[in-house]
Amino acid sequence: MGVAAAGMATYLARRAAQRERVRILYRRALKDTLNWAVHRHLFYQDASDLRERFEANKHVEDLHTIDRLIEDGEAAFNKWQHPDPYIVPWAPGGSKFSRNPKPPEGIEIVYNYGREEND
Amino acid sequence: MAWRGSILERIRVPVMQTLDRSPWSLPRVWNRRLSSHGDDHLEKEEVIERVLSVVKCHPKVDPSKVTPDVHFQKDLGLDSLDGVELVMALEEEFKLEIPDKEADKIDSCNLAIEYIAAHPMAS
Repeated sequence: MGVAAAGMATYLARRAAQRERVRILYRRALKDTLNWAVHRHLFYQDASDLRERFEANKHVEDLHTIDRLIEDGEAAFNKWQHPDPYIVPWAPGGSKFSRNPKPPEGIEIVYNYGREEND
Repeated sequence: MAWRGSILERIRVPVMQTLDRSPWSLPRVWNRRLSSHGDDHLEKEEVIERVLSVVKCHPKVDPSKVTPDVHFQKDLGLDSLDGVELVMALEEEFKLEIPDKEADKIDSCNLAIEYIAAHPMAS
């Protein structure tokens, strides 16, 4: 009984991990689809094609088959990744990453390193 | 804070008063406003309204069921991939870049609203 419960727990944990992997793969692939699409209307068609490719294997139950499918999907994603993806400007790798606007008037940095209290 | 918006809508500042210092550059406040650094603060009500309008636009969602408390899968009958699509739509709406692991945890309107309202770069 205990062995069966432990086996079931391992099985469920593995299924949950696979679900998470699939969700993250779908998220990355969907973003990459947007990178490849030069117009929004092209993206809609590509996105629904991508969704169909995921839906096609929705009812697969065998753990090893699922693992293989995920690995195939991740390999395909890595192969077709866009070389110059869109990055939100402020995010790492974005065009304005760590470039900050001037502070508002009245706020300035005093460069005397705390001496104003001692003198 | 609703009265604040309604007052600000009606206030008019004469143009010359703001431009007389230097006619060629925008006032500092506008400069910051136009920059895409997203340091403008979002009110929670605005976040809620915009999150809900994005969720309602998803083709599989029944707009009448959407409230700030709904769970994407339990209450709206979506599956996990639809949830991924919704989070990506929210990222685009608020010009955010959410790390994959964090985005994966957002599975309800409540969490999305909380995450976006607390995000310094949401705009």
